[in-house]
Amino acid sequence: MCRIGAIKSKSKFHPSVALKLMRSQQEGHDDSGFAFVMQDMGGIFENYKDLPLLSMAATVEGTRLAEDILREIGFSRVMQWSPNINNRKGLKIEAMPNYIFEVLQYPKSYKHATKQEKEELLIDTSIRLRKTLDEISAGFIYSFWPDTLTLKEIGSPRDIGTYFDLWEENKDLTSSIITAQCRQNTNYDIVRYAAHPFFLEGYTGLVNGENTFYEKNKFYQQKLYKGYIGFESDSQCLLYTLHYMNKILKWPLKYFKHIITPLEYDEIIKREDKEILLRIKASLSHLEINGPNTLLAVTPDKELMCVCDSKKLRPVVIGRNENTVIMTSEVEGINDLLPNRDITKDIYPNERETIIVRNDLTVERWPQ
Amino acid sequence: MTVCKIKTLKNNIRMSTQELLQTIYKKIEDGVTEFDIEACGQHDIGSAVWNKDGKELRFHVTNPGQRVGGMAMDGVKILVEGSAPADVGWLNSGAEIIVQGDCGDTAAHCAAGGKIYIGGRVGTRSGALMKHDPRFEPPEFWVLKNTGSFSFEFMSGGIAVICGYGCEDTTSILGNRSCVGMVGGTVYVRGNVKGLANCVEQTPLDKFDKDFLKSGMPEFLKSINRGDLYSELTDFSKWSKIIPLPKELKEKKIPVKEFISKEWFKDGLFGDLVEDDGEVFTLAQSGKARLRKPVWNPKLCVECDLCKNNCPQRAIIKQDKTYASTDEKCIGCGICAAVCPRKAWIMETL
Amino acid sequence: MASVRINELHKGDLPWIIEYDESKCIQCGRCTAACSFNAIYPAAETRRTNSIASKNKTERVLVIKQNISLENYCRGCGMCANVCPNGAIKAIRNKDDKYSVVYRAIKADSFKKGGRSNLNTEGRTLDKIKVGRISQMTDPSLDAQRHTFELKTPFGRVLKADKLNFDIRDGEIIETAQLPPVRWIYPVIFGDMSIGAVSWRMWEAMAIATAYLNEVMGIPICMCTGEGGIPTKLLKSRYAKYMILQIASGHFGWNRILKAMPDMTEDPAGILIKIGQGAKPGDGGLLLASKVARYVQEIRGVPKADLLSPPTHQGLYSIEESVQKMFLSMNAAFKFKVPVAIKVAASVTSVSVYNNLLRDPYNIVGGFFLDGLAAGTGAAHEISLNHTGHPITSKLRDCYLAAVHQGRQGEIPLFAGGGLGQSGSFAADAFKLICLGANGVFTGRMLMEIAGCVGNDTGKCNACNTGLCPAGIAAQNDNLVKRLDVDKVAQNLVNYILATDIELKKLMAPIGCSTLPIGRSDALITVDKHISNRLDIQYGC
Repeated sequence: MCRIGAIKSKSKFHPSVALKLMRSQQEGHDDSGFAFVMQDMGGIFENYKDLPLLSMAATVEGTRLAEDILREIGFSRVMQWSPNINNRKGLKIEAMPNYIFEVLQYPKSYKHATKQEKEELLIDTSIRLRKTLDEISAGFIYSFWPDTLTLKEIGSPRDIGTYFDLWEENKDLTSSIITAQCRQNTNYDIVRYAAHPFFLEGYTGLVNGENTFYEKNKFYQQKLYKGYIGFESDSQCLLYTLHYMNKILKWPLKYFKHIITPLEYDEIIKREDKEILLRIKASLSHLEINGPNTLLAVTPDKELMCVCDSKKLRPVVIGRNENTVIMTSEVEGINDLLPNRDITKDIYPNERETIIVRNDLTVERWPQ
Repeated sequence: MTVCKIKTLKNNIRMSTQELLQTIYKKIEDGVTEFDIEACGQHDIGSAVWNKDGKELRFHVTNPGQRVGGMAMDGVKILVEGSAPADVGWLNSGAEIIVQGDCGDTAAHCAAGGKIYIGGRVGTRSGALMKHDPRFEPPEFWVLKNTGSFSFEFMSGGIAVICGYGCEDTTSILGNRSCVGMVGGTVYVRGNVKGLANCVEQTPLDKFDKDFLKSGMPEFLKSINRGDLYSELTDFSKWSKIIPLPKELKEKKIPVKEFISKEWFKDGLFGDLVEDDGEVFTLAQSGKARLRKPVWNPKLCVECDLCKNNCPQRAIIKQDKTYASTDEKCIGCGICAAVCPRKAWIMETL
Repeated sequence: MASVRINELHKGDLPWIIEYDESKCIQCGRCTAACSFNAIYPAAETRRTNSIASKNKTERVLVIKQNISLENYCRGCGMCANVCPNGAIKAIRNKDDKYSVVYRAIKADSFKKGGRSNLNTEGRTLDKIKVGRISQMTDPSLDAQRHTFELKTPFGRVLKADKLNFDIRDGEIIETAQLPPVRWIYPVIFGDMSIGAVSWRMWEAMAIATAYLNEVMGIPICMCTGEGGIPTKLLKSRYAKYMILQIASGHFGWNRILKAMPDMTEDPAGILIKIGQGAKPGDGGLLLASKVARYVQEIRGVPKADLLSPPTHQGLYSIEESVQKMFLSMNAAFKFKVPVAIKVAASVTSVSVYNNLLRDPYNIVGGFFLDGLAAGTGAAHEISLNHTGHPITSKLRDCYLAAVHQGRQGEIPLFAGGGLGQSGSFAADAFKLICLGANGVFTGRMLMEIAGCVGNDTGKCNACNTGLCPAGIAAQNDNLVKRLDVDKVAQNLVNYILATDIELKKLMAPIGCSTLPIGRSDALITVDKHISNRLDIQYGC
């Protein structure tokens, strides 16, 4: 199992909060890695919200190759942030030589480009960078998207926090949303890409779980969209399905549960929307997901979302106060961060609902 | 005896579960019987510990991790202030465990003794596989509010009391598909229940049930600081109990024969196409079921009586020099034809 | 005593030899009375006596003898042994069987038989595949008896999500166009055995079991009628909705179907266009005159004669044409509200056919039934039965992977049949084929076996073509048909499906599937390296 968390707040906060959220859940994971995605950035990124932010870890060679490609396409660097590395002895971390977090300006030719054209450029560039880096095992590109910063590393979350100097609060590096995972990913190889959260075009997904329909999902998704690549983790399938349904098919979020855990036929035929639900069940049967899992997600509208498998096999709890909502695997993480909240308002999502956290932090529970 | 206080988080450094448990073991060894633990998600607090002189061990815990009171034993009392994650009281064999807030999934899973009191909700699969060893008192599992789905799966003994407090708008106090595979024990529940497994029945309380709830309620409410709810929760109008159905009532199948006589076409599907009264022929049956029948030719017969004497069914009768095979007896074996020296019997295919 | 010539049929040529123990026989005559093939008869044999006192040096003794005849010969069905109270008689397989050689030499005709392939010697692929992915530590396995499982599969043309033409209004999806019909059915279909191929009692028992499973047990199983029509009564009843009507090249029975249409209250479950049959691909239907009973003549509109359905549909000379003519017409006949599927024999060319159908622009192809070579038949030329066809497993897999390659899996549901349950493990066979990509399976074989068929894959009985089926299943002789107990056969069919249902769940549970594992080949392993390569599943040793 891994432990996951998502925090959304009315005020910007530092990633140390995520480390603290996960700290008490230590024995729920294997201490093998830590990763997070920050969205709706503050601090030094506050003024660059519309420009793409590249998050990458690479060797020296990889860094050079990537820079060449970006330059060739016409991107130019606007701003760069480097973590304050604390390389003290004895830290359990397998660090990469370079960590690149830079804000780039679109090529000049994109001056009048539409949002869609710009997004197309970003995904194409991401795929190209990834391919190039993969070929010579020279690094990893985690996200290349406006207002989004990703860090993933192998090692103990505590030491990763120390290495990147993330335990101390710092006003430069803040955001209003952060999703984080402490991982156990021994089902497959330990690969940096396999660490959650996964990010694709504004959608972030992180899963505590298994997807027994992984191969079936993968076979189908590979043909659906060029951005559906990697599949280092069976949990990526959940993100891709969310992206496919919401971004490509343009279906409302509430249909997501009907794809990943469709109701049984006998349930559906009692409903008014049975025609639609049966069509979805048939047409997207290859995107159904079996196995125990809980998904936390961030949508391009910067809303949080939580759904569970149809048997509610994995833990998740949502705690909140006026300023912050936290979704995480186990309640002790929330107890540490929001000790004085009203616990009767905690939410334990069930197997047939979708939880949405709106931007004003109201929480909606939609029955499937 | 002084209370042993343990703070598990100091300067951003968290004590691991192993370190905490080893510390507790050491202190118990030293004779400590009361602990006040400020936990940071450490697992198994209160598990499988006892005082060698049989004294009571008390734990006061905040913010525990999984399995608080898991595998806990007689003579242990655990009080959790606030909520706890999964597996509270897992395999409890005798301890009294109180959680004043909510519990994660599988609370009281496999509990076989002791008492578990929960002041809030419990998650999915809570009470699953609870059991009762007849040499000891049955386990009790009291919950103020409601459970998640799949609660009391495979329950085989013990008593659960789910009070449904403040859950008037909840579709099902026990979640969906509760009591699947339940073979023993009793679940008392106050409020709506939907989606129960079909191997159990929900019935009204009898006097014994009410007396049990009345006598146990004060201690439960006191432990979660809700003594004020006594009269509300002992109004038995919304209570019911769930017990397993006897085996013979679990499977009710209509035989196909009955379906045919009630629902199927009266004269059969082919009634207008073939003559069929539905009789089932056995192999080597006499009469109309025969595949062949003997035909006698008087011109060839020499009245030797071999046919009559050899017919295994004694079907052939002779009257005034005339032989005949009785249809009701003859099975069409052909022995008459075989023994006839003159071919006076011929087998005709039907 | 008749003279014996060499160039005739001799007892030693027959496929089965009757072993008769005179000392045990009580001459009750039941064996000869029970034999539907007239393969044995009582006879008076002349014997020499050893009595020195007697004047007569010979005596006449009653014995049971075997017919040596091209027509009335023993098929090894074993009914004689079944009725004998003393175990005095039984049929023994003749290793030196030359019957079919002699038959051809004398008749100048191809040899015909019913039943199943006799070349089943290679070992079955499905038996070399195991369900090797057992959820234990990673994803919790499920409990087969207690958890909920959904055993339903779509049947009909499934459109890709972006082709559904959905609109969004007030946050709700709404339909904007009439979409192709899709039924949710049980993944086992009662295979297409026609009225005529099987007896009226057998057919009725299958129909009853189908109705019962749907209405009493809530198992939405469908039955395909076969190409021999359907009683008008059934068409006009509520049970019509469980029936998949078959049309094959003979078009038998469709006159009555059309005439009944205005009075039908329910749409049928589907239409199955039969192009080919796994047991005898490239050959058409064959109902020998001996089986064309009066009611069969009536339903089909034919005289008592050998009925041959042509191997191809007249007028269909390309896939495009067949889509246009058969699919379009059949869709139109039921106002585009009934799924129309096609059944072909598995063949080297199956993938091409499937690919073509996948590209059908009119969305009128609602299912692809693939029938493998170990399938059974009511009657076939032995040469076709034993030497033509393609095993089902790799071809089913090929079709599924062809769809995967195009990102179109699931759009035209695949159903597989042919030899399922051959080694006694029907549910396992079905499950493995589903994991390899089938939406479901169909079977005729199992239904026959459940009904009491005494035949097997190695030449026992296999006389379905004669109308003399000793179990009354494929019989058309009234007295043989009436041996079949409709109530009991219907009950046994129901019971078998209920057992299969439990067993399918027993396999779904450990792989952590609460819905059908269609295409979940990751759940399978094989102990054969070649099968591993061919089917793209993990090799285990």
